[in-house]
Amino acid sequence: MARNGKFYSGLAVAAVFILLEIAAMSMLKSSSALQDIWINRASHNAMAWSWGKISKLQNYLSLQKENELLAGRNYELFKELQHYREMEREMQTMAKLDSIGFRSMFNYIPAEITAMGTNSRHNYIILDKGAEDGVRPNSAIITPNGVVGMIYSVDRHYSYGISLLNDRLSVSARIGKEGLVAPMSWDGHGTDHAILKDIPLHLTVAEGDTVRTSGLSTVYPADIPLGVTMGSRLVDGAVNVVDVKLFIDFASLRYVIIAENPDRETIEKMER
Amino acid sequence: MKNWRFIILYLMLVAGQVILCNYFGLSQYVLISWLPVLILMLPHRMGSIVSMIVAFACGFVVDFFSTGMLGITSLALVPVALSRRALIPLVFGDEQVTRDEELSIARFGIIKMALAILVSCGIFFLVYIWADSAGTVNFWRAATRYLLSVLVSTPICLYVAKLLRPE
Repeated sequence: MARNGKFYSGLAVAAVFILLEIAAMSMLKSSSALQDIWINRASHNAMAWSWGKISKLQNYLSLQKENELLAGRNYELFKELQHYREMEREMQTMAKLDSIGFRSMFNYIPAEITAMGTNSRHNYIILDKGAEDGVRPNSAIITPNGVVGMIYSVDRHYSYGISLLNDRLSVSARIGKEGLVAPMSWDGHGTDHAILKDIPLHLTVAEGDTVRTSGLSTVYPADIPLGVTMGSRLVDGAVNVVDVKLFIDFASLRYVIIAENPDRETIEKMER
Repeated sequence: MKNWRFIILYLMLVAGQVILCNYFGLSQYVLISWLPVLILMLPHRMGSIVSMIVAFACGFVVDFFSTGMLGITSLALVPVALSRRALIPLVFGDEQVTRDEELSIARFGIIKMALAILVSCGIFFLVYIWADSAGTVNFWRAATRYLLSVLVSTPICLYVAKLLRPE
């Protein structure tokens, strides 16, 4: 009670002090031109400073909204880019392609990561989109910077996936635009490295080449950049392994795109 | 009787400050004012709000009757009144606050009184010279004016304190 009283009396003292100082300043302002300019300048500076701080705070508070907007824009651009990539590839293989009739091979769904593990050898990822949003098992989880994983099972509103940082997952990758194709998987060390396995001994791989998805799998769209090669080493005296530095930063990952191939089941049936 | 003497002397000292401002300008580098000690010596039971209002009124009267700018003395004197409640226990100790004793040189000694007056004058002239310069005077000139004003006014304020409460 006494504490409250002390607080209110302190508040009253501060209020009276401010009032009296404002009164003195306004008297001074009206009685001298020099002081008038000085006070005006000081008040403008104070106002500019406070506006600056408020606008900084507003910007900070609206970051979440801004991030979502950028993720949405990113998704749209990615979709467009993939469409052009697929068109280009089709045009290269079929010279007489009628582009009006062209349709994209994959369906894309933007999603946000709900949970993701990076600390074990079998890392997982949970996304905020499920069966009701059109997500199906065995769809790819990607970003414009690389492959994140693959959908394993689907709930109504959420989906569970295997992360690329899981030694059970393998992605069909190609070195360069038209180079060697090999399976890429996580090396189990760090979140930014992977390896290209089963490279025949007679083939040499240059350092710094870009590794992309090959497009030979029914899960991952083609030509998504994955990383760059960092050098190769001999394993068991039989095959070479190429180290890859991944483009994707798993630590700051938040928004992803689910790529679903509607023809996957048909193609897989034909393969059988 | 004692109170009446204090009040009459108080008013005379305010009038004296008006006369000093109007007729005894020493130099542009030295300002003389005993208004800070008048605020410091206000009765101890007087709260911060009342002492701030008294300080504002004193400043207003001095500015109104002298050739100075209206509001500048009030602007500098109100912070002195605000700092008074914190300054007194800091310089004279908490005992003075609990015993509710009035400030005087005879009771607390010249050193403690000089220190309290020095701080009050320091606050007063800091705000006064800052507002008076209005950003047009260079730092060293304003600092010289500030130091000289505090050094000259502090002994005068000590004498005024002795005059106000001789016992």
